[in-house]
Amino acid sequence: MSDSNKSNFEEKSLRAQKIFPRNLTARAAYQVAGNPVVARLESGVGNCYPGLEYDHRNLDRRFFPGLVFDFVSQDDASAPSQKRRGLRLTAVELNDPDLQGDQSLRDSLGSQSAALGAGSWFVNEIEQDGKKILTYETAGNNIEYLDGMVIYQIVRGLNRGKVRIVLSNRDGDGASVELTGERRGFLNEDGVIKSVFQPGELTQSLCSPWQHDFRDCGCNYWASNHPDIVLTEDEVGEALLPTGGSADPHRAQTLVDWLRADRNREAAAEAFPTREENRLFQMDHYEINRRWEQLAVVLEGKEISSIYRPGEIHRAAPLASPQEVADRLRYLASLEHVLILEYLYAYFSIAPPDRVDANRFPDIDDAVIFARHQLLMIAVSEMRHLRWANQILWELEHAKLISAESGPALEVAETVPAAGGGHRKAELRVLTMDTLQDFIDVEAPSGTLDGQYASVAATLREPLYPPSAYQLAERIIADGVEHFSRFRELKLVLKNYLSENESPYLLALTPADPQTNETAAAALAAYSSIIENLAEAYEKGDMEDAKYIITSRQKMEELETLARKLAADGFGIPFFNFEQSE
Amino acid sequence: MLVENKKIPVQVPPSRRALPVLTRGALIEPSETLQKTPAARYHLIEGATPLVFLLEGSRLFAVEPELFAELKTGAVAVEEVFPELLAPLAASIADFDSLAEPTAISLNVAQSCNLSCGYCYADEGRFGGKAGAMTSETAFAAIDNLLAGAGDRPVTVGFMGGEPFVNRKVLHASVAYARRRAAAQNTKIRFSVTTNGTLLQPADIELLRANGFSVTVSLDGAEQTNNRLRRSKDGSSSFARTIENLKPLLRKPGAAKLAARATVTRADLRVRERVASLAAVGFADIGVSPLRQSPDASLALTDSDWSSFLNEMIRAAEDEILRLQRGEKLRFSNFAEALRQIHRGASRNLPCGSASNYVSVAADGNYFSCHRTIDNEFFAFGNTADGLSAAARRRFLSARQVDRQEPCSSCWARYLCGGGCHAEVAAVGRGGCDYIRGWLEFCLRSYDRLASANLLPFDF
Repeated sequence: MSDSNKSNFEEKSLRAQKIFPRNLTARAAYQVAGNPVVARLESGVGNCYPGLEYDHRNLDRRFFPGLVFDFVSQDDASAPSQKRRGLRLTAVELNDPDLQGDQSLRDSLGSQSAALGAGSWFVNEIEQDGKKILTYETAGNNIEYLDGMVIYQIVRGLNRGKVRIVLSNRDGDGASVELTGERRGFLNEDGVIKSVFQPGELTQSLCSPWQHDFRDCGCNYWASNHPDIVLTEDEVGEALLPTGGSADPHRAQTLVDWLRADRNREAAAEAFPTREENRLFQMDHYEINRRWEQLAVVLEGKEISSIYRPGEIHRAAPLASPQEVADRLRYLASLEHVLILEYLYAYFSIAPPDRVDANRFPDIDDAVIFARHQLLMIAVSEMRHLRWANQILWELEHAKLISAESGPALEVAETVPAAGGGHRKAELRVLTMDTLQDFIDVEAPSGTLDGQYASVAATLREPLYPPSAYQLAERIIADGVEHFSRFRELKLVLKNYLSENESPYLLALTPADPQTNETAAAALAAYSSIIENLAEAYEKGDMEDAKYIITSRQKMEELETLARKLAADGFGIPFFNFEQSE
Repeated sequence: MLVENKKIPVQVPPSRRALPVLTRGALIEPSETLQKTPAARYHLIEGATPLVFLLEGSRLFAVEPELFAELKTGAVAVEEVFPELLAPLAASIADFDSLAEPTAISLNVAQSCNLSCGYCYADEGRFGGKAGAMTSETAFAAIDNLLAGAGDRPVTVGFMGGEPFVNRKVLHASVAYARRRAAAQNTKIRFSVTTNGTLLQPADIELLRANGFSVTVSLDGAEQTNNRLRRSKDGSSSFARTIENLKPLLRKPGAAKLAARATVTRADLRVRERVASLAAVGFADIGVSPLRQSPDASLALTDSDWSSFLNEMIRAAEDEILRLQRGEKLRFSNFAEALRQIHRGASRNLPCGSASNYVSVAADGNYFSCHRTIDNEFFAFGNTADGLSAAARRRFLSARQVDRQEPCSSCWARYLCGGGCHAEVAAVGRGGCDYIRGWLEFCLRSYDRLASANLLPFDF
């Protein structure tokens, strides 16, 4: 690679290698290449979680020659009994090499080994240099046994030299055995780990990330590397949304526990909200050791067992030319525009909370607050889409990919895509269930809007186009899916208040006549002014803080006030009337 | 699958205007930024190991020679290698709104002297006025004020003059008083004294030892050099008397620390010889000050002297480098202090602590910015009875910050130098700036050289 080909970055990093900080302030301000401080040994998580590195307790399990212990902790699931906490004897090894020099200990262990082999033996007393520590506390008649971790600290603190221990059988009659031996060191004379420590013993408590620790480890280090909740796998031939999600709204939203023990598809139930509740239904320790291969690979939040297929949106065919993209965007913008008007008209048709009868219809006041909010959010989001569509157009123009003749896209579409692939007349209607269904249909992810944006996005992804244009198209698609689910939620809520011939959440609006209604005329003028100002703003491509945007925002507030006034009188803003114009 | 759309009336301007640049994330032309960067934010130092010194934080970098050559010629912009230079200069002008009380004072217990040195800024201690002696009441009041403002900070009480041991009684009484009062309020206290050493008595030596005094002895060098300008009024050898009196302390300093300070006049610019002579009589810490301002103007260094003086300073410092190479300690404190400041990356907008954490008290109880401005009304900050004037100190400091001084604001050495002694600048202006830059450049190079040889007496 010649010098001139070197990227700016490479040149910079090469230069960084040619300067050397000398004094303290220069060193402090200088970014040193290499591992950061958190990568150093002393910063290791193993300092708190020895399972990730090395656990010293594995050495002290053999602190007493001829015996092997376990430090049993109170939160050990396998030993919930208080009585089983402490320093528990697990084996007597008469062939322990460190017994060879201690004939008397070997003799007493030999004579007691049969007794120690039966029941549950725990160390009750530890004594060294005249200091005795009991491994239990008494309060009246109650005996409280010390936790294994506390006893570990005591054992850890033992010096080299003689140690006397008293073992007692907590299962049987409380028989006890007293032994005295040398506290075991870890290394032999050559400084090598003693042969009494068996291969594998020192590493036995290290994490096993594909087994127990993958389901839950104390520091969540491994457990955080798998998903908690996932969507289940698509069935063969299942209808999918263009985004790749399931078309079945229930399946699209039902998250199941990734670690669930019951892998039966039909039995896959929604995960509980907390880890504790899910715990009972998950693969347990040991189970996960055997079955971990059944855990699914997860892509885009969904379990995958066969070949991954990207969603339709990611497979959409690109359009042929920038002009075709522009034409498509222009059409889509006109659709966004007409939907804004339909949604706003419907929005003002939902009764404000003080105009509904909460005595007859429980909680209807909350329902209308929710409905108004949802619908307004969707309308605002569509306004943003209209702006983004115009921004993409502007960027295409600016990149000289299309000619700059047609100006901002602020037309209003006359028809709207409907269910089944057809079109319906655009219409200003109150929010009846039919209207709502039409809204759901147009926003359905399988519908026209998203599908067409998908081809736009697929085209804008090509290197010819400015990168920001592609990102805007992707965001419009993602928002569309959200509109769909918001409308469906809206339907669920409002459905409760419907009866045969009554829609108690609705105001009966009819489009006002601007010839006779001054408020309506003012509202139309405000709307017109908004569009003119937006046209100016989109024309200049200056969409962040230009005066035109500010003016149109002011006009929007004016429009809202007027619309509320009209709605109170039973009228809606006559944004358009395509019936008349035909 | 386009649909015919109904258009609503929309005003589209007929003529399309030129499209402006997108407003998102305004781009800055890099070349423009580079041109606007002021020159005095870094300094290139040539040498076997070329260095780049960044003013902010006084950061010193060694640079590979080939890259340095590119920086020097401008083929590569310094700002490209040190992009922090593109950021605006951190505000170095302080407002001193919350000016803490000083933690150090000097008491001019005797504004008179038993010597009559030809160059004395204090004019034999009288500061151009009448000889005077501080009363113990005044000294105690000043100590009370100091301790009252100390909070939990340690304080220092210094004794100056004139020759402070002319007023031995008040000096001893002040130490005892200050120690008792400081202990009562649990404040740590240190003492210092600047003396010609000719009047020291055994009781004084005991006082210095027991109280861990920092003792600065004014001596100009070898006996002949010293006596030429440091004249006894009776014509005897002031050098001999000083050394004779100091011997016990030099031999057994106790908790005291001794330093020699030599004043260099244009009559004899040599430095290395002075350091060597003073080391020979037992001082381990020897510093020099060039004379810039003197009642006898013929003694002060003039513009033509500075380059010779710089050579003298470097000659003395090179001796010190040899000492470090032999495993011996630094003794030339000008050099040692410069290395220490460079090591720590000291960066300051004032030359010294005067008026901020240090003030001086005249024999009559008036406060002044430092021991060199005694009885100069332009540097007066009130008196011990009414207290120290914070407003006067604030005004004084605010006006004297180096970034407000000329020609300092364009000088690369300004944050190491701080703009020069207030008293001297007020009296004779700024001179010898080339000497200061040359000296600092030498020290920066030496620092790098010593660091490479692992000979710096500091921890990293």
